[in-house]
Amino acid sequence: MFQLTATPPNGLADEPVHIRVTGLPPAQMVTLKASLKDEKGNLFQSKAFYRANEAGEVDLERAPALGGDYVGVHAMGLFWSLKPEKAFRRLLKRDVINNPFKVTLDLYDSVCLQDSTTAQPRASQMVQRWFLGPGVQRKQIREGRVRGALFIPPGEGPFPGIIDLFGSIGGLVEFRASLLATHGFAVLALAYFAYEDLPDKLLELDLEYFEEAANFLLAHPKIQRPGIGVISVSKGAEIGLAMACYLKQVVATVCISGSNAILEIPLRYRDLLVTPMRFDWECIQIHVSGAVRLRSGNRDSRNEMNQQSVLPVEKAQGCILFIVGENDECLNTRAYAEQAMDQLKSHGRSSGKMLVYPGAGHLIEPPYAPLCFASWSPALPRPVLWGGDPVAHAAAQEHSWREIQKFFRQHFSGTGIKYS
Amino acid sequence: MVQLTATPLSALVDEPVHIQITGLSPFQVVTLQASLKDEKENMFYSHAYYRANKVGKVDLEYDSALGGDYVGVHPMGLFWSLKPKKLLTRLLKKDVMNSPFRVQIKLCDLQSPLRNQDTSTSMVSVTLERWYVAPGVTRIPVEEGRLRGALFLPSGEGPFPGVIDLFGGIGGLSEHRSSLLASRGFASLALAYWGYKDLPSQLQKLDLEYFEEASNFLLRHPKVFGQGIGVISTSKGAEIGLSMAIYLKQVTATILINGPNSPYGIPYVYRGYTHQSIPYSLQFLSTNALGFIEFQGIYEKIGVEASQSLFPIEKAHGHFLFIVGEDDKSINSKEHAKKAIEKLRRHGKKNWTLLSYPGAGHLIEPPYSPLCWASKMPNACTPISWGGEVIAHAAAQEHSWKEIQKFLRKHLIPVVTSQL
Repeated sequence: MFQLTATPPNGLADEPVHIRVTGLPPAQMVTLKASLKDEKGNLFQSKAFYRANEAGEVDLERAPALGGDYVGVHAMGLFWSLKPEKAFRRLLKRDVINNPFKVTLDLYDSVCLQDSTTAQPRASQMVQRWFLGPGVQRKQIREGRVRGALFIPPGEGPFPGIIDLFGSIGGLVEFRASLLATHGFAVLALAYFAYEDLPDKLLELDLEYFEEAANFLLAHPKIQRPGIGVISVSKGAEIGLAMACYLKQVVATVCISGSNAILEIPLRYRDLLVTPMRFDWECIQIHVSGAVRLRSGNRDSRNEMNQQSVLPVEKAQGCILFIVGENDECLNTRAYAEQAMDQLKSHGRSSGKMLVYPGAGHLIEPPYAPLCFASWSPALPRPVLWGGDPVAHAAAQEHSWREIQKFFRQHFSGTGIKYS
Repeated sequence: MVQLTATPLSALVDEPVHIQITGLSPFQVVTLQASLKDEKENMFYSHAYYRANKVGKVDLEYDSALGGDYVGVHPMGLFWSLKPKKLLTRLLKKDVMNSPFRVQIKLCDLQSPLRNQDTSTSMVSVTLERWYVAPGVTRIPVEEGRLRGALFLPSGEGPFPGVIDLFGGIGGLSEHRSSLLASRGFASLALAYWGYKDLPSQLQKLDLEYFEEASNFLLRHPKVFGQGIGVISTSKGAEIGLSMAIYLKQVTATILINGPNSPYGIPYVYRGYTHQSIPYSLQFLSTNALGFIEFQGIYEKIGVEASQSLFPIEKAHGHFLFIVGEDDKSINSKEHAKKAIEKLRRHGKKNWTLLSYPGAGHLIEPPYSPLCWASKMPNACTPISWGGEVIAHAAAQEHSWKEIQKFLRKHLIPVVTSQL
């Protein structure tokens, strides 16, 4: 009697699931398949082939996958190797309150290649992946110009306040903010374009908007004073770094896959105007898949012609954590982060830390999120190449998520951090 | 006045084209875009950015593309970097006799690759004809006995060296390579063996007598040299080509492109003798970061008797040309050729040449064919990755095509010694 168990069947999306199969004939080859439909009905699937041991068991925490979407021992491989049925689609949870992602795990008692259900699974389990923990509250924010969603953990507080910024995808992306709130932080998922009455297109970065958001958070009764944190990725990380440099309200900033210079569009703050460093469009190459490799058009932020676009990180009063994927095909994140670190050092500041992940791509997300190697981007008619090697990228997501929480906790607990 | 010239305007598809632009401003950066519509109305596009010299000239034979679908000096880059608008579509000419592919080359002002390719405005354009057949080549449908295919004969009296042309898992009848070989002086029989007319719709066994019938048919032809024929074969076709070289004394020159060194999946039969094949180890299949299937792992030989593995290649009397794409994701071609050659060496044989191309993928085609990196096969749900890096693959196609013709001429055209 085959048994397929997945524990816990209902859990947070950043928690691991222990998958086991028992009751198999010894040394039986099996296929484990995962499938998920996102909120738009797009199908994502993954599979791996395992051989049962002498006792007729397959325990994903111990057994190596022989082939499929990953090879080797990867307990959560079925989750982070999910691939879209239609190439270049990105998996993103929009509604974090009302429902989870539902992942169906199927067991086949042979090496099963067919995607369609011509073969019937011998056992199935459904696993729910929630982006919001019990007791976390979500409040839609429309204060002044500020647009977003605020997630507050259960309890009295006050909690450390964090602003969460995504990139050129625009709109409001909430799933990371909701997960972080589940870990004890009050997080404002902040939209800045293509959302409600905000500008449709990003033509300029108005830092005063982000300052308004920071002040809004600090004025909230359940949020710690005197300073807030920022977690930011891609274009958002450029903004996050600018916030760290210019806003004294910001005391701890995580910049994931960001640039240390203002890119493509100008930044404004009161009477300061920072002119952008432009992509070198003549150099931009197309990857063999047809996706655009923006990294080939990145300019060198150390070039003296570009210095007016480089952010003055030495002015940042708080701490900065740079998260870098070496296989980032969108931005030369490592070079940008290294320059920022050098800048801090040359001004005698020890407030920066860099975590470099070999093999990780641009879209470093919370753990077990599938690697998005290339996807359609609102700004372009072609898919954009993000890069990343699946196994290394998954490891980077797991490690960096722990480091990010540690970073914020250390900072907000008052022990402060000084990196040497 | 801006002028765009491309010569020759009408040519065989394996002939280079010289593209030049005059009348630009000094150092003006322009975009060259190529587009092609195939017989099913699928569009293919490529583009590259060039900077004019101080007299406003661009010459693709000397000037370096700055970016786009390729970088560097590549006079034919616009052709071999063509990419399908509808992802994963393979470019294949079906009707080789009656129409060419028409490639439009457009010169445009510099624009980002983000503009819609269908509507880019051009300053000037030129349309080229790319033919798969030279004037005077005749195509004779073959329906003799069991044989199904098409024989292409060069113009003239002959006799010509005869070649059988075998493709792989695609099935049906691919004529484009045979028509080109005939245009280069070879009598080439494009031979179908499944999925065509009344041939089996699925491959269940390979009857070598069918291929012997084809060899005898070709040898008997009054316009073909009677001493021996050649075989050019790709992928599964190369598995068959190898077995023909070993068992059929009619075959004296065999080209094996990215094929296995042993029979896999289905048995071979010849005159009452059955050669068992090695089962595919499907559990070792893998996927790339975009979820496309890489088959190379399935050729593992587990628990296979040494006598069963490897065709007895040392028994072949003719000559071998192994063509290997080192970036082949569909089969570990390099390893297979290496083992086959080791066996020849152990038996003191010197009847082989190896052409191994770093960066080339599985589908090594005649020169200037666009790299097909991945495509959807009719009987698979998930796209298959063939591998290859665009620039290296193009170089491999150019080099190997010349070597293929040299090899066939050397071993099939009888040497006439002077009677003096």
